[in-house]
Amino acid sequence: MISLHGLTKEFPGGVRAVDALDLEIADGEFFALLGPSGCGKTTLLRTIAGLETPTSGSVTIGSADVTALPPGRRDVAMVFQDYALFPHMDVTANIAYPLRIKKVPRAEREDKAAATAARLSLSELLARRPGQLSGGQQQRVALARAIACHPTVFLFDEPLSNLDARMRLEARTFLKRLQRELAVTTVFVTHDQSEALAMADRIAVMSAGRIMQVGTPSEVFQRPSSTFVASFIGSTPMNLLPGVVQDGALRVAGAVLPLPEGLAEGEEIVYGLRPEYMDLSCSAREDAFAGRVSVVENLGTSFLVTLEVGSGTRTGTGEHLVQAVVPEDAEPAPGAAAWAVPRHPRALVYRDGGLVAA
Amino acid sequence: MTVEEGRKTTSGVARPAGAGAARARHAVASIGRATFLAAVAGFFALPLLWLATAPFDAHPTITASVPEFTLGNFRALLDNPYVLSSLGNSVLQAAGSAVLVVVLAALAAYALSRVRIPGRDALLYVLLLLSSVVTGTAAMVPIFELATRLNLVDTHLGVVLTLSGGLLPAAIFILKDFMDATPTSYEESARVFGASPLQILWHIVVPVVRPGLATIAVWAVASVWGSFLTPFILLRDPEKSPGAVILYTLYTEGGSPRLDLISTFSLLYSLPVVLMYVFVSRKYGFRFHGGIKR
Repeated sequence: MISLHGLTKEFPGGVRAVDALDLEIADGEFFALLGPSGCGKTTLLRTIAGLETPTSGSVTIGSADVTALPPGRRDVAMVFQDYALFPHMDVTANIAYPLRIKKVPRAEREDKAAATAARLSLSELLARRPGQLSGGQQQRVALARAIACHPTVFLFDEPLSNLDARMRLEARTFLKRLQRELAVTTVFVTHDQSEALAMADRIAVMSAGRIMQVGTPSEVFQRPSSTFVASFIGSTPMNLLPGVVQDGALRVAGAVLPLPEGLAEGEEIVYGLRPEYMDLSCSAREDAFAGRVSVVENLGTSFLVTLEVGSGTRTGTGEHLVQAVVPEDAEPAPGAAAWAVPRHPRALVYRDGGLVAA
Repeated sequence: MTVEEGRKTTSGVARPAGAGAARARHAVASIGRATFLAAVAGFFALPLLWLATAPFDAHPTITASVPEFTLGNFRALLDNPYVLSSLGNSVLQAAGSAVLVVVLAALAAYALSRVRIPGRDALLYVLLLLSSVVTGTAAMVPIFELATRLNLVDTHLGVVLTLSGGLLPAAIFILKDFMDATPTSYEESARVFGASPLQILWHIVVPVVRPGLATIAVWAVASVWGSFLTPFILLRDPEKSPGAVILYTLYTEGGSPRLDLISTFSLLYSLPVVLMYVFVSRKYGFRFHGGIKR
């Protein structure tokens, strides 16, 4: 188990990369640190590794407080974004390097390196130098090197960002399977929400050195706790529309929608709904966003339709864009009038940036 | 060559009218270029030709000519008791300085590259500026004074320390560039696996910057091999003098140069450096690539 208490890292110049952060990561968990660039996720990972010394707070791995320990005595292994394979050593020597530091005899560590390499189907490449390997092979060598020293924690810094799109999907599945097999607590950093959703058991969404939400991929996807998380998670951005509570109903961009509990008359809210939970109708409805189709994007098996809504409507909230995902063969023509009908059970209502009702 | 010819023919096909003139112009330009290059090459080759022929000439002059072949010059040279030992002294002083410079410069450059100190760049520039003073003529009196008080006059150590002092700043400056170009993730990766700073330096940093270290070593050897003033002033005993100083003694009593001995000794004196260049470029004339995904 990894626990962080009140962890703060302030860089010279007063930048707080990590700000009074508390977090618990369970044994064997595949945990994602997700956030936009500059949110402090890599600094947090490096602080767990011991490459950064926290300004205040503590890091505990297992039952030991490792805050003051150097990286080498924390029993962690880290895979760097650039893999950091030693260019002058062949694959065997690279994989065996952690064992060389632990003074394992040469024959034994080469056997172990070969066994680990075989597990990651690298047996053919043992005599090669990193410069003679493809990106995917380099990544697997970096993983093998991390696995070979049998750490209690794996730390991955953007493990997939240097692979091309197709390799990335393969590596994602491979990495998740590997982590299941090894059952070693793993923390990985990513800026790609789809990567985090696909691989992680739990996700911490970070912004400006703080954790905005921690939860399983389903929780974070279905009930984002803030408009920041809502806009960050999801491959198509969530519709976030300003609205107001009026006459016992929600009035959002020209639509009159049922009022969830816990809201008072006259309150201003933000109405959130994923495009995937929005249906398109060709006939006028009171509980739908009336608009004109402006863009239709082909997503393969479905279409992302963007409507311009709300201009000159009764609420006078001005012009907004509403997106809906429609199945293939059901896409409207650009310029057509259409009504986007929200599926109410999936709707989220935010007040002052925080979730109030769903 | 073939590309050049190919281009000529295609342009000839494309523009038959101007083809003859263009070809003539091209030929004149080629001849001019070749003549100029031959003149420049000859200018630099003649002294080397002299170095190759004069030692085997019974009566060498200051011009290169077909020698009246003899090996007598070598026999005469070896009659001088200091000649062979002077080359040994040169090797000792050059190797000593090179080892000292490479080790100290690597450590200093690594530290300067990885640790942020205020005024780091200013420090480097001042050192670089001073380095030309240390082994320069202007500082010879204080250096001699210092060496006298430290009992370093007439010792190899005195020469090695003085010359190394002069080479170090530039060596640090060059090596720092090599260290800066090495990604820190190599070292951080090793650190996470538990490597100590010295292990990181020895296992990772030194092999990665090895081309830089080889460059510095060759440069240090060549500089010390050719330096005259410092050993000339600091060494009294001709038995400890390096080749550069002994070369200066090959004159007749009347003060005129013994060209037979000088040319022969020059040949012997330059061979080790040439061999070193060949060896080092064979062994280290490559760089490692990869391991860092860019």
